[in-house]
Amino acid sequence: MLALEALPLRQSPSALVSRGRVLLCDAQASGAGVKSGQKLSTALGLQPGLTVFEWDDARELEALTSLACWAGCLTPSVSLLLPATLLLEISGCLRLFGGAEAIVQAALAGCSAQSYSTSWALAPTPLAAHWLARAGSNAIHDELPAMEEALASLSCAAPGWSAEIQNRLEAFGVKSLGDLRKLPTAGLRRRIGNEPLDDLARAWGELPHPQKAFVFPESFERKIELPSRVEHAEALVFVAQRLFAMLAGWLHARQLLVRTCTLRLRHDDDSSHDLILRFSEPAADEARFVRLLREHLGRLQLAGPVEVLSLIADEVLGKPGASAHLFDQAATGEGALACLERLQVRLGDGAVQILGKNPDYRPECATKLQAVAEKIPAFKASTATFKAARPLWLLPSPQALGERGGKPHWHGPLQLLSRAERLESGWWDEGEAAATGDIRRDYFVARNPQGQWAWVFRDAQGWYLHGLFA
Amino acid sequence: MSAVARPLALAEVLARGDIWRGDTLASLPETAISSGHAALDAELPGGGWPQGNLTEILVDRNGFGEMHLLLPALIQLSAAGGWLALVAPPWLPYAPAWAAAGLALERLVIIQAGKDTAWCCEQLLASGGFAGVLAWPAASIEAPALRRLQVAAEGRSTFVCLWRSASVAMTPSPAPLRVELAAGDGVLRVRILKRRGRPAARALDLSIHRPGRLPRALAGPSLSLAGARSATSAPVT
Repeated sequence: MLALEALPLRQSPSALVSRGRVLLCDAQASGAGVKSGQKLSTALGLQPGLTVFEWDDARELEALTSLACWAGCLTPSVSLLLPATLLLEISGCLRLFGGAEAIVQAALAGCSAQSYSTSWALAPTPLAAHWLARAGSNAIHDELPAMEEALASLSCAAPGWSAEIQNRLEAFGVKSLGDLRKLPTAGLRRRIGNEPLDDLARAWGELPHPQKAFVFPESFERKIELPSRVEHAEALVFVAQRLFAMLAGWLHARQLLVRTCTLRLRHDDDSSHDLILRFSEPAADEARFVRLLREHLGRLQLAGPVEVLSLIADEVLGKPGASAHLFDQAATGEGALACLERLQVRLGDGAVQILGKNPDYRPECATKLQAVAEKIPAFKASTATFKAARPLWLLPSPQALGERGGKPHWHGPLQLLSRAERLESGWWDEGEAAATGDIRRDYFVARNPQGQWAWVFRDAQGWYLHGLFA
Repeated sequence: MSAVARPLALAEVLARGDIWRGDTLASLPETAISSGHAALDAELPGGGWPQGNLTEILVDRNGFGEMHLLLPALIQLSAAGGWLALVAPPWLPYAPAWAAAGLALERLVIIQAGKDTAWCCEQLLASGGFAGVLAWPAASIEAPALRRLQVAAEGRSTFVCLWRSASVAMTPSPAPLRVELAAGDGVLRVRILKRRGRPAARALDLSIHRPGRLPRALAGPSLSLAGARSATSAPVT
């Protein structure tokens, strides 16, 4: 069904056609009597509203490759069996997932999330799994005897040998592979050739059967054509989720982390809009991608209906090895950086910042807020030594204070508790827009009768309140 | 032979975990971080600022050492590699002073959340990645929002502190610990309005580091709490 399901804009009933003959059809069409191998005119006669597509092997391969990328989250050894089979070698991952059932459930859930229908089988040899899956076994045969039993009951059509061989086997009166195995090998080899018998030996595990491993691509760029034109940004989440699942699988298989990726929305007029997702720390977690994407899409106004979504991993880096804890200290929640990157998207640029110091004497300029990032160099503690006291809080701009009897007033007369500290600096940005400019101030620690400590200064204009010793 | 149970000594009964005496503080297995003030730790359930529960700090004015009360705990959290968040602070933090106090600036986040303060705190708590969250919610924050925050805080190892106005002291709140701060003379007066266990009888006077030299003339009779509270004060900014 892969070739059919890989098509966008598909409506039921539909069928895939190659050289005037039906290759595949969906459930609704086959209910009406359409079968593969039929002439197109026959099929259209049986199902008048049939939507017909020309077979496109490039698209089918593309879909299979996408699915193989996604399968990277299950196992690193994936093989493609053209046209429409994915072979996952899971014996090395059983412990990780907690048994064959768990891994099969994960695979099936993933396939249905990628909106592909599957028929599957699990068997000790790759060829047996392939044949059983094609025959629609949908069962786990993880022991050799169980697999042999299942294989023996398969019909001779299951392996997909050439029509000539199948006809000949039928003429022998051989119905199942089990019957075929019982015939003397030497004679069979003479009569039907070596290929079927070698295949049988491989399926039964008597001959080794090495598989060509799927090579996960160097860079990640996948696209999905939407089944219908989407006009609301939030509706894109479900399709984008498929792309992010592929990305997560690809990252997992290549042991990479992504820092920046671009989701490109192509509109129906061929213009496109790039949504750049920046993570505050390199990540490989699908749920985290989707959470950030939801925030982005919640704020996005689409310029027009979207037809194609593509996802490009722009900045990837190797995953550093990390030691796990012996006793599982399960961290609940997404963690600080993941939460901050989400808040940043929701609250807007500049709303989430990390405190930093700026080497400037002017109090307004001594704080430098910076964007959240994974690695912020720690500041040297030695630069933080002031002889005079500094307040924890500064007012956004100095507040002018009244003066009575030569004393500044702030909820009562302020008593000065320190000597004047002269700060005179900033000639270089005098007159520049939004700059603090040249200052010449005498700062004092002061206290009012209500017990509030304030940082006040006097300059040529008078007294100002500038900070609070909280 | 002796079917009659031996009479239990009263002390043995009282030592049982499920017996609670009305005059002791609740000894819940809650985690707490030492406040750095022994007198205050003795009064707080768990022996310090609670982690995984809301703490409300009520102040009627600012600049009398209220942040210095929390600094020892924040420094501990920061030194242990934890992230701290200041959500919607009403003033600008002055970075050199925070660094000089001993906080790791690279893990101190300032979030200008505007009207989303409560939502933002909830997200920070849910993320599980923060050791301390200090928030200045709007005066209009409602009880349901506070309850949501308390639920979000439960089970987390985060010290959550909401700064609210002293005018809400009589309004019920879901926060298990509510502390009212006021300025004394050279001391910080801490009144525990609500805590788990028996109510606190008296206010504590804590000496807090203050800048500048206090002249002798100031060391007069202490300002009474009632006097300090009734004094009218305009907002700072």
